[in-house]
Amino acid sequence: MSTLKSIAKRVLGSIPVLIGVVLVIFLILRILPGNAILSIMGEHANEETVAMVSAELGLDKPWYVQFWVYITGLLTGDMGTSIKYHRPVAELIGTYFPVTIKLSVAAALFAWIVGIVCGVISAMGKDKLADRLGMGFSLLGVSVPVFMTAMVLQFALAFKLKWLPIQGVNDGLLSYVLPAVALGWNSAGSVARLTRSTLLEVMASDYIDTARAKGRSVSGAVVFHALRNAMVPVITVMAIQISSLLSGAVITETIFSLPGIGRLAVDAINSRDVPLLQGSVIFATVLVILGNLIADCLYSVLDPRIRKEV
Amino acid sequence: MKKIITMLLALTMLLTVAAVPALADGEKVLNAAYIADISTMDVALTTNDYIVALNVFDRLYEVKVQPDGSTEIVPSLAESYEVSEDGLTYTFKLVEGVTFSNGNPLTASDVKYTFERLLTIPEGVNYDIALEFAGAEDLLNGDVDTLDSLAVNGDYEISMTLAAPNAGFVAELTSPAMSIVDEETCESVSGFGVDPADTIGSGPYIISEWAVNDHLTFTRNENYWGEQPDVDTCILHIVPDAGTQNLMFQSGELDIVDLDNLDASIIESTYQTIYADSIVSGPRVGVTFITMNENNEFLSDVNVRKAVQMAIDRQGIVDAFFAGNAHVENGMIAGGVWGHNDDLTPITYDPEGAKELLAKAGYEEGEITFEFSYDNSSGTTKQSIVQKIVQDLAAVGINAEFKSYEYSAWLDFRRTEEMPMFLGTWTMDFNDPANVLGTFFSPSTAGRSMNYANTAIAERVDAAKSIMDDDERMAEYQALEEAIVVEDAAVVPLYEEMHMYAIGERVESFIPHWAGYTDFYIRDVVMK
Amino acid sequence: MALFKSKKASISEELASQIGESQTLGVQLRRMARKNKMAVASAVFLVLLVLAAICAPILTPYDAITGDPMQRLQAPSAAHLLGTDENGRDVLTRLLYGARISLAVGVIPTLVSMVIGVILGVAAGYAGGWVDYVIMRLADVMLAFPSLLLAMVIMYTLGGGVINIFLALSLIEWASVARVARSETISLKESEYIQAAQSIGVRPMRIIWRHILPNCLPALIVLFTLNVPSAILSESSLSFLGVGVQLPNSSWGLMVNLGRQFLYNAPWISLAPSAAIMLVVLGCNFLGDGLRDALDPHLNND
Repeated sequence: MSTLKSIAKRVLGSIPVLIGVVLVIFLILRILPGNAILSIMGEHANEETVAMVSAELGLDKPWYVQFWVYITGLLTGDMGTSIKYHRPVAELIGTYFPVTIKLSVAAALFAWIVGIVCGVISAMGKDKLADRLGMGFSLLGVSVPVFMTAMVLQFALAFKLKWLPIQGVNDGLLSYVLPAVALGWNSAGSVARLTRSTLLEVMASDYIDTARAKGRSVSGAVVFHALRNAMVPVITVMAIQISSLLSGAVITETIFSLPGIGRLAVDAINSRDVPLLQGSVIFATVLVILGNLIADCLYSVLDPRIRKEV
Repeated sequence: MKKIITMLLALTMLLTVAAVPALADGEKVLNAAYIADISTMDVALTTNDYIVALNVFDRLYEVKVQPDGSTEIVPSLAESYEVSEDGLTYTFKLVEGVTFSNGNPLTASDVKYTFERLLTIPEGVNYDIALEFAGAEDLLNGDVDTLDSLAVNGDYEISMTLAAPNAGFVAELTSPAMSIVDEETCESVSGFGVDPADTIGSGPYIISEWAVNDHLTFTRNENYWGEQPDVDTCILHIVPDAGTQNLMFQSGELDIVDLDNLDASIIESTYQTIYADSIVSGPRVGVTFITMNENNEFLSDVNVRKAVQMAIDRQGIVDAFFAGNAHVENGMIAGGVWGHNDDLTPITYDPEGAKELLAKAGYEEGEITFEFSYDNSSGTTKQSIVQKIVQDLAAVGINAEFKSYEYSAWLDFRRTEEMPMFLGTWTMDFNDPANVLGTFFSPSTAGRSMNYANTAIAERVDAAKSIMDDDERMAEYQALEEAIVVEDAAVVPLYEEMHMYAIGERVESFIPHWAGYTDFYIRDVVMK
Repeated sequence: MALFKSKKASISEELASQIGESQTLGVQLRRMARKNKMAVASAVFLVLLVLAAICAPILTPYDAITGDPMQRLQAPSAAHLLGTDENGRDVLTRLLYGARISLAVGVIPTLVSMVIGVILGVAAGYAGGWVDYVIMRLADVMLAFPSLLLAMVIMYTLGGGVINIFLALSLIEWASVARVARSETISLKESEYIQAAQSIGVRPMRIIWRHILPNCLPALIVLFTLNVPSAILSESSLSFLGVGVQLPNSSWGLMVNLGRQFLYNAPWISLAPSAAIMLVVLGCNFLGDGLRDALDPHLNND
């Protein structure tokens, strides 16, 4: 089967998942109707206004009617209107998703580069100091909550040492350094640990011995053979990280005041803005689905064996 | 792999666009921060977000803070007014030659349009004051198209007829809700309140940018009809994390920080030591109180309510958490409010007396149990205060169970009228006792889980608005306050606190909003 | 290959294919105890922690809920080993009581999701056909969500509180378990002795109970040690965002969240629970690694 065909098949395969995602979010948000309006209007709002505005927004209709309206709207790019901001959800998401993409890409780059380097160093110096340090770094990454890392980095590097901006997106790429490190550390830990263990496994196998027999040095063998073979599972894990990066983005965007999708979701929760909440969650999920699709395609390009399996 | 990384790097570069507002040299730029973004720039659609209304729009009258801290109502767009004999019709003379920032003249018909718009705009929420005009109900319900009670006489005179006399009417006109909009703009643009370019006012500032969840930029209105303010540009950053705001201020990135968002102990340990000279505060004109839902089986008993009042060490709370930035309030008409009564019978802290009262009323120790519902967005100081109150109540044998809710869940619960007790703060919308007493103790009070049962007093609260003689009206409000707080013990007033800000080195002076709002007048900031 | 995979699922799938059927669980665990000291130390630490959480009232003289407002933000001292918090409560005491909820949040939803995931996964793997299709597409949907965002939405709808966190995390975690259980079941179903059992007419329930489940167990144990720390971290993130555990209950996540604004002048309030979270997560990871090494004959050979 050609690569193109297999890609097309994957794209088609994600459509039911996409519909499922919309349905799940829609149902969860309507288990309890709640009252989106009340907290928006705050303390000083009175009862009649709340009832009147709910009716105007169609929130008094049954969920399946709302679902139908929503899903037909989605097809035309209409994600409803934000209750808080009185403007189309699609417009808000359109304006702010680049921040989340930038943050996630930067975090992913950090995670992958640092993770692979760390993993290789650890594997090469198995059970030596370098290994201990490398694995200590990885374990800290996977075990410290993202917000703790973010706050400590913000305090030490931005506030005390003034190396990097404390918050915001006004300093170009520099703005993303701390948030990306805070966000990517966790993934870096996973990548490093996996790189190390796959490398060790590959190094224990026969063809490394062959390479040795050919007269190459061990470190040369590591770079040329082992790493290449170890990359396949690592790439799989990298694709999986997209989802956890988007989860963590919610937190880092809040601490570093980055106006991205995660912030929109938190903002929506705080103001009970259901259309904005479901829009931003669905959009973030679409990013994950897309990321996985891209990773799958890359994967089948990089490793021809996979293509045949599909 | 290399290719992929190069691609990703290129993508990152591509996506990065610096968003720094360009600034000229010597420009006075004020950096401030909000914890959450505003919802709209259109004051008809919000009862919370007034920063745009205060700075981009004007009202007929304004409240001015005097050097001694007292407040005074001063003319703004209106020069003067006359009241008819029956107290129903007010005739205002407008200042001539005022223009909106787009050059349109501000006339009496804009005033009429503005007040009608409050009642007719879809999703409008801020029409409580406009409802006082004769025939307003009909306009709200869509039975009529216009308010005959607002009569325009030429470009600069308008008379307004109320449904019932209200001596506090001019004070109400200072409310941000009554900000005057441009009829021509509102009728012709699609983005009023959403798009800065479409949000045209007559105020000292123009809103030039609103990047949702990032920042708002206010620039000086060069053609402002009144006195030019000092600050050229104000950038209001949206910074959702209070810790981040704290770091920003300390590193000079913020010129003003709202200390409301920080815990009392941080204010005490950092700001009142290192930045002691930079703290600016104004009274939060309003009172923090504890409610007692009279639908609750225990709290319906006046003896229990009195015991609760006596059991709480209010002075202790003020001392422990506010370090001199708050004072105990005995009533609901707080210190800075017109009609405040210094001679109100004080509530005394008397845990032994509370115990005796409960014993006499036939309750056993620990028998009285109810929930104390806490909204977890109130900040750590309030959370500590609630915990302290729970301990005080436990000491007299009242078992108040502390329970925390996420804000919207808390609001939902309160609407059911079942919430037994909560800690609330009411900041005044306009400086008149009607605002606070009417909200909590009039017959129309609903959805606040208070259920004040004394209907006779509630009727009087409603009726007091129509007493035209100010002294007489204030005397009535004070009598009602005594009845509600002292005799019926319907609520436990706790304290009035100061709203504190810290100002940075570049700021010469700053006057917080007179009522202690988070929103402030940028013109009240002077920079060095 | 499925569209979406969780990291855990892929690791365990690999693992599953490598596990031999010759060794019993007991033998494997004993080998781990012999070879991997870190894993044993972690196990001991975790057991001690559970005991400490249960015995909290004996271990500390202070009250976890009421504090002395006059003793706020005291630095660590002999009286308060980890200092006091913003309400004047002993941080160590809160840590011990908070462990109850944090550990429960780690273990209970993970167990519940295991049960749901195993039932659905084994059913999908064993039955195949449309049952398999429906269950696995549902799993795909759940795995596509960024888990924290989905948890936020669920918590937003249900409201904060410990029980609701159990529900939210269970709903999120089952999908990865189902994946693993399904792939194990499919690989076992092909094996000769199960084919043989089917051919002599042994009922499916019996085959699943006697042959498939016991063979899934090693992979599930490893998955369990991975899911517990991720549940603890998820709870701390939810609490950070204000939609998690609600006062007066306390969890480590909530303690970090409430204490974080004191990070700069009373760091012990948030650092102590952070360190506790870190230690438990590390402990689970070491234990998980040890178990994987022990249960995976392939890696043992090197």
